[in-house]
This record gives sequence, C-alpha cells and structure tokens, in this order.
Amino acid sequence: MKDDLKVGVFLCECGGNISDTIDLEKVKESLDVEFIGQFVNLCSLNGRKLIRDAIFDHGLDRIVIAACSPISHEKTFQDYIKPLNPYLMDMANIREQCSWVHSDKDRATHKAITLINASIEKIKQSDAVDPIYCQTPKEVAVIGGGIAGMNAALSLAKQGTKVTLIEQSPSIGGQMAKIGKVFSPVKIAEECGMCLLNPILNELVWNENIEVLTNTKVIEAERRGGTYNLILEKSPRYVDVEKCIGCGKCAEVCEIEVPDDWNDNLSMRKAIYRPFGQSYPEAYVIDMDNCSKCGDCFRQCNMKAIRLKSKSERIPLQVGSIIVATGHQLFDMDKRPEYGYNRYDDVITQSELGRITGVNGPTKGKLLKANGEVPKRVVMIQCVGSRDEKPDGHRYCSKICCTVALKNANIIKHKYPDTDVLICYTDIRTPGMFEKYYKHTQENEVRFLRGRPGEVVKKGDNFIVRTEDTIKGEFVEIEADMVVLSTAMEPSQGTKEIAEILNVGTTEDGFIKESHPKIKPVATDVQGIFVCGTAHDPKDITDSIMQGIAAASKVSEYNYGGVEIEPFIAEIDREKCILCGECVKRCNYKSMNIQDDEVYINPMSCNGCGKCLIGCNQRAITINGNIDEKITSTIKGVLSKKREGQRMILVFLDNIGYTAADNIGVNRLSYPDSIHIIKVISVNRVRPRHIQYALENGADGLFIGEFPGDLMYGEVERKIQNVKDRIAELGENPERITFSKVYIPYYSGLARKFIEFDKKIAELDEAK
Amino acid sequence: MQKITDSPIDFAEHIIEDVKNSKEEGVLKCVQCGMCTSTCPAAQHSDYNPRDIIERVLDGDISILEDDSIWNCFYCYTCHSVCPVGNSVCEVNQILKQFAIENEMGYDKLYEYMGFADSYFTAAIGAIPEIFFKDIKRDVPGWWEFRLHLDEIRDELDLDPPLMPSKEVIDEVSKILTITGFKDKIEKIRATQG
Ligand code: SF4
Ligand code: SF4
Ligand code: SF4
Ligand code: SF4
Repeated sequence: MKDDLKVGVFLCECGGNISDTIDLEKVKESLDVEFIGQFVNLCSLNGRKLIRDAIFDHGLDRIVIAACSPISHEKTFQDYIKPLNPYLMDMANIREQCSWVHSDKDRATHKAITLINASIEKIKQSDAVDPIYCQTPKEVAVIGGGIAGMNAALSLAKQGTKVTLIEQSPSIGGQMAKIGKVFSPVKIAEECGMCLLNPILNELVWNENIEVLTNTKVIEAERRGGTYNLILEKSPRYVDVEKCIGCGKCAEVCEIEVPDDWNDNLSMRKAIYRPFGQSYPEAYVIDMDNCSKCGDCFRQCNMKAIRLKSKSERIPLQVGSIIVATGHQLFDMDKRPEYGYNRYDDVITQSELGRITGVNGPTKGKLLKANGEVPKRVVMIQCVGSRDEKPDGHRYCSKICCTVALKNANIIKHKYPDTDVLICYTDIRTPGMFEKYYKHTQENEVRFLRGRPGEVVKKGDNFIVRTEDTIKGEFVEIEADMVVLSTAMEPSQGTKEIAEILNVGTTEDGFIKESHPKIKPVATDVQGIFVCGTAHDPKDITDSIMQGIAAASKVSEYNYGGVEIEPFIAEIDREKCILCGECVKRCNYKSMNIQDDEVYINPMSCNGCGKCLIGCNQRAITINGNIDEKITSTIKGVLSKKREGQRMILVFLDNIGYTAADNIGVNRLSYPDSIHIIKVISVNRVRPRHIQYALENGADGLFIGEFPGDLMYGEVERKIQNVKDRIAELGENPERITFSKVYIPYYSGLARKFIEFDKKIAELDEAK
Repeated sequence: MQKITDSPIDFAEHIIEDVKNSKEEGVLKCVQCGMCTSTCPAAQHSDYNPRDIIERVLDGDISILEDDSIWNCFYCYTCHSVCPVGNSVCEVNQILKQFAIENEMGYDKLYEYMGFADSYFTAAIGAIPEIFFKDIKRDVPGWWEFRLHLDEIRDELDLDPPLMPSKEVIDEVSKILTITGFKDKIEKIRATQG
C-alpha cells in the first residue's frame, strides 16, 4: 500500500539562497513524484497557500519540503500541511547542508537530488501519529536562595504560583549579602548592597506563596509524567526558629570560636551563631562540626529555643518545574601558588577585600593590613584563574572581575586618597555603560598597568609584583604592601551536584547549559528545568536578577500551556509485558518505572533511544513511528542516487549534532559533497544492520556523531566498536566506520572532521 | 605601511608548521599579556623580551631573525609553562634561531659554543667550553674551587676516577659526526669567523 502513496515535493528558492547554487529545474527533472511545486520563499503565507492547494488538488498523502533546516522551520511546515497529520511531512535540508556548504553547481544540484530522494523514501514509511500533550503540576521548586533564585521565586509567587525556595546554607541571601557595596553603570557611585537586598528579602519572606527551606538540599529527583518528585534533606539547625528571638545571649556564653566563613575566614565566630546581621530566618544556628555539646547555650536561653538533639529530616516535594539557581564559587588559590596567597596575609582576594571594606566586615569597613596599618600601595592582579588555559585554569572570562576591581579601587580611593591603587590587567572589559565607570575610576586617580604579573614575592616588609608593562615593552618590578587577586568565578559545588541529580546538561566548564546558546536562554536540556544566575555562567547582580525573572516567566508559560511532545517514544504492549523490569533498569533517561503492576513510560523524558527494546525478551516494547524502517529507507534513498565513481559518506547525527552541522552552513564554511547527513532521533537507533545495509549498498564510509553530554554516549561508543569488529569479521574494512564527538559550538571542528574522514575514505578507496 | 598584498600572518604560519612547535595554534592565540616576560629570567637580565618576539612574529617582521636578542633565550621553558593561552615562546625561539642559521645569520652567536663541538670530537663528551669559565667563576661562588678539587672530593667519597670514553669510542663518535654533516657545519661556522 505504501508504494502507491502520492508524494508531493515543494522546492524553496529561499530568495536565491538555494536557487543560486542549486539548479532547481534539474532537480525537478530527476524526481519521480505525484507533484512538484516551487516557490521563492515557501515559509511565507503564499507558500502555505501553494502547499494546501496542491494537497487538495492532487490528493497528496505525503509531503517533502526541500528548503532550509528543520531546526528552523519544521513547526511552520507541519502547520502548513494541515489537514494532513504533521508527521507526514519531511524536510530535505538543501540550504544549511547543501547550497551553503557546496559551491560547485553540478555537485550541489546532485546532492540536493540525493537529499530530496532520501526524504521521499523516508516519508513513505511514516504513519500518522499524534503529538502528545502534557499538563504539569504548577508548583515550582527554586533551588538556591541567592539573588537570582530569590527574584525567580518572588516573580512566580506574585503571579500566584506556589514556590518552595530551597537553600542549603542557614540563610538566604547568597553571595550578594557578602558583597558590601554595589554600583550600577548609570549611577557613578557605590551603594550599600545589603540595603538593596533587604527589601527583596523582606518581600519574599512575607509572601505567602513562598516557603523558604534553609539548611536544605535536594538529594534525589525523579521524573514521572511531567512531575518531579524531589527528596529534600533538611539538616537540623539545633535552634527552634519559631522560638528564637535572636537576642544572641547563647553566643555570648559559647566558648568555642572558629573562623567565620561568611567573612571569608577573616574573623571569628562562635559555634552558635547568626550568619550575618540580616540573615533569614532570624534565628541562631549551631555549627555541630565544631560544637562541644557543653550545653552552656541551652542553659542560657530564656526562650528554651535550643534543641541539641535534633535530627535531620527528609521531606518529599512534588513540583511541575524546577529553577536551578545554585550559584558560583571562587577559584581555589591553592592552584596559583606563585601569587603567594597562602603564604602571605596581605595577599587577598577581591571577595576578601569586599568583606574588609564592608561596614559589617571584620574591620568594620577599615582597610587595614594584617599589622593594622593602612596599605600604601595596593596592586590588583586581574584574570587569576580566568582566561587561563593552564591546568586547573578556566578558559572563559569571568566577566565581572574588571568591574569588581574598579569598584573596590574606587572604594579604597574614597576612603584613603593617599593609598596608591594600581590595577594590572590584560584587557579591561567594561562593556556598554560600564565604560563610564571605568573613566570615573581613572579620574579617581586609580592607576592602570597593562600586563599580566607572573609572580608575587616578598622582599623585606613589602611585596614585589613582577610584570611587564606591555605598553612600554619593559619588564617592571612594582613594590606593594597589599596585593588583591581578582579570582575566577566557577560553578559552585552545589551546581555540579544538582546537575547530576537532575540529569541536566552542563557546559565543558561545568556550568548548567542552556538548551540553545542563543535563542533559548534559561531553558535547559530537560523540559521543565530552567536555570538562572551564576549557575549558568559568570554574571553580575543585574543579569542574575533579569535571568531569574526570565526563568520565572518561562515557568509560567510552561504552567499555562502544558507541553507538546514528539510522539516517537516507547510504548509497552501490556499483554506481553511480564513486569521483569529489565527495561526500567536499562533506561538511561530514567523514563520508565513500574507503578501499580504496569510499566509506566514518562513521555516527557523518553527520547526514543530504543535501549529498552534490547532488554525486553518478551518483545513487548515498540518505539512509535517506524523508526528502523525510516532509517533504512533514508539510506536507500541516498544510495540509489549514487553516480558512477562518486564517493558517498553517510553521517548520522541526532538533534544536537544536526544543529552543529547546520552551524557549519550558517557560518558558510564548507565540507566535501560526499558528506550526506541523516538526522535521527538518537544515534542509538542506528543499528548494526543499518550500517551493514549501507556498506553493502554502496556507502563508502559511515560517520556517527554523538554529543558526549548525551546519556547514551558511552553506550553508543561501545556499540560502534562492536559493529566495527563484526564488520571486520565479514571482511569489510572497519576503518570505514567512525565514531566522533560532536559539540554544537565546535561546528568548525566538525567540518574539519568531515574533511579528514573524506580524505581517509578516499585513500581507502584508492588502495582498493 | 602595510600594503594590501602583504600577508603578515604567513610568518607565524610557517613557524606553526615547524615540527619543533608543539603548541598547535598557540602563537596565534597570544593576547600580548606579557606574563611570559614577567617571569623570563633572560628578560630580567637583558633587554630581551619574549612577548615582543611573538608580537613581531605575528606582525610578519622577519628582521627578527637578525636580532641579537633572540640569542639571549636559554630554553628554561618558564614562558612555556606560564603562558595562559598555551603558547610557547621558548619553542618559537628555537625555531627562529634555526631559521636564522638556515639563512646564514647568527653564526657569531654559535661560534661561542664551538667548544662544545670540539669536545665531542676530542673526547666524545659534552663539556663546558673554557671560554665560559670566567663567567661561571664570577656568577657561581665556589664553583671554581669545586672544579679544581674535584679529584680530591672523589677520593674522599671513595669514587673511582671519572670514566672517560675509549679511543675507539671517540673515533666512532667523530666518524658519526663527520658522516652526518656535523663537521661540515662546524667548519662553515668557523670559516665565517675568520
Ligand atoms: S537561641 Fe535563645 S539565647 Fe540564642 S539568640 Fe535565640 S533566643 Fe537568644
Ligand atoms: S552547646 Fe555548642 S553551641 Fe552551645 S554553647 Fe556549647 S559549644 Fe556553644
Ligand atoms: S604569556 Fe603567552 S599570551 Fe602572554 S604575551 Fe607571552 S606568549 Fe603571549
Ligand atoms: S625559555 Fe627563553 S624566553 Fe622563555 S622564559 Fe626561558 S629564557 Fe625566557
């Protein structure tokens, strides 16, 4: 029946983007289908009319759109083929992966024919399937109580959403509470950070839609049908928040003193303490690691608030979406011993300088060296651990250190005009309005030296900072009595942990990755999980707040509209299933579980990789949408257009790899026209028999690309190795198959890999 | 003036292609931060400047091959280990010196090292040439005394006299050095210095 399907092909000129390189007349001549249409830009409303009319006039059953990438317009054309089912349409990407990467007209035209033919063969295998809609619970968990998380929570709460704000430390407020002074690019002045933070904090505390859980961590997460089941662990505070009135009598009698981490260990606090003046909840807390359990505080407390015997508790929480706002930490200075941070008291970080100059800090705002004197010259060293490819360094720019250094330099200059402040920099990065603040800092007589110091050594009472004045081209030694290091921002421990618990993708630097680096900010790879603040990448307070609010608004969209899911997911035949649970064990995406004597598949998380199929001895699982057959037909469609002596390489890529390949075209790089890219739902769906079929039917090489962040990566890598071994046994050269890492940002690397692989295959062909 | 037809980057590309260069595109990634200079011992004691070397390479300034200062680098590899973008001035310098020699430049600098070459031929070992003794004596306190009394020290430690290569070994080494063309090179350098 499938053979007499009426297929219609629509060719898009794309305003010359396609038709200038590809001879569309030739394309038309070579295709054998019911109907072929052509239009200058098919995605326009006139294009829609053309498509709809043709469907009615010619009774078309299947549609192929030969145009741009499905990544940009699949949704558009799925809509344009109505009343046909959206999954009866396939797009042949003859722009990003053909006219934009090949310049030879004849070759590009032939490749376009090949790609369109592959789509025709593929779409004949498609059945009508319905997209799945999911409605999710509206409750939201915000993980991280810093400025980004607080703003996200507040915005959602004001829209009527119930929010649980989860903070692992004893108080919300995050890094901003520590920061001392802040400034904005418009106001050329430094303002009190706490005074700006407090109103937000108060508003949040009084909002009845928000529940704040401090001392609490997410320790487990599980997804089921759009619902996240979280298990939280609340560590005891040992002080009853309801009863404690914050009088501080307990701390007065406590004899144990330890370095105060909130003050960057620059001062001491008691074992029973309040993190900082405005901390919330407004109650004391006992640091049990250091408490000697003497009971002095207990006896002293009139409110009977102390509970030395409390235990940690586990709290289950069900939410529909999650905002990750787990923040950052600072570069570990043990990794750069050349600056002497651990050897000398007066070599400090910008964060410590912020505490020292903060009125609520260890010296009540006075800038003093360890010996109690005001420093005569402060030298600041920029890019410590940032823009640094050495082992343990970070390649990225931490974005805020330049402005932080300017701010702290100004604060010093206001209070101590006689102290010389010199900033050693590689580049000063003060984009946009911040440039004004840079100028203001210069007017304030802060000095700048362009050069990156290599070491700080002690000489007598002072330090020598060795650097090159790269403008003069001279090696210089600068005497200083205080050195301040602008350390890199890196993902916090909590960020790394939560990424693992929630299975969300991270960047190679360990920050939480957005699902599209440009047009999908705050969304992560996982539906229903959003990110904001410095968990995502280095940024300042304003950007953190904006992102917090953006994340909240994305959650609202999500709560309002529900989600549409591609239907190519696993399905269980309940008659056959014996509940052995093998599939559940195998699913890397944790999308399966057994509930009430049935295997339940979470449509939100199943990605159709097909790994569960292999585990099921009962053959009770199928993946919707004929995927195996579609892959075979696509291969057939490509190879049946092979010309005499033409080299043909098939490249299998999933969504991520396909996006990377598109980027090659978008950036107008090129690769050999032997490369034919086939988009699959998951590269795990490419089976040994597909590979064998391709080799037997004329493919010269096979390239399987996978994003290493994908949960199936290891699996696929192993599988390809097995296939290679098998191919070798059958007398074929395993070198014709390659498995490669693919990252969206490294599209140029992917282009290079295509070129290299083509070369290798050419050599193999020659040797043959 | 840089003319439209000039392509300064060719010089850097040429260096990158050299087998001695292990840091792939490092040269092109130099941000002129000066960290190499800040830790380079040669820069501290002479007007040699590693950052400037890279700048001139990137400018396509081939006159750098004639510059005396490139001979001040003594391959301590400090710059190699500190460069934040993964460049190695040290390797670039080795390549520059090699280019200079290929272009018959810097023979006078090499001439100072002739003593090393001689000791290969006469003793089949690499020994510090005598012309350096004066400087070492000045810079390294105690070194001269140590050298003078080496035999006594060895005696005291119950060590055998140092093992020197035999005549056959020396002949064989000389032969290898001659056949591989080393000798010709040496003579060429000697000849240029009259
Ligand atoms: S625990 Fe008791 S003594 Fe300590 S601050 Fe609270 S109320 Fe005061
Ligand atoms: S019980 Fe712990 S917190 Fe309380 S006073 Fe003793 S040491 Fe301090
Ligand atoms: S340290 Fe590296 S990046 Fe910096 S100037 Fe030297 S070579 Fe260039
Ligand atoms: S290797 Fe040469 S350039 Fe590099 S630090 Fe040492 S002396 Fe300086």
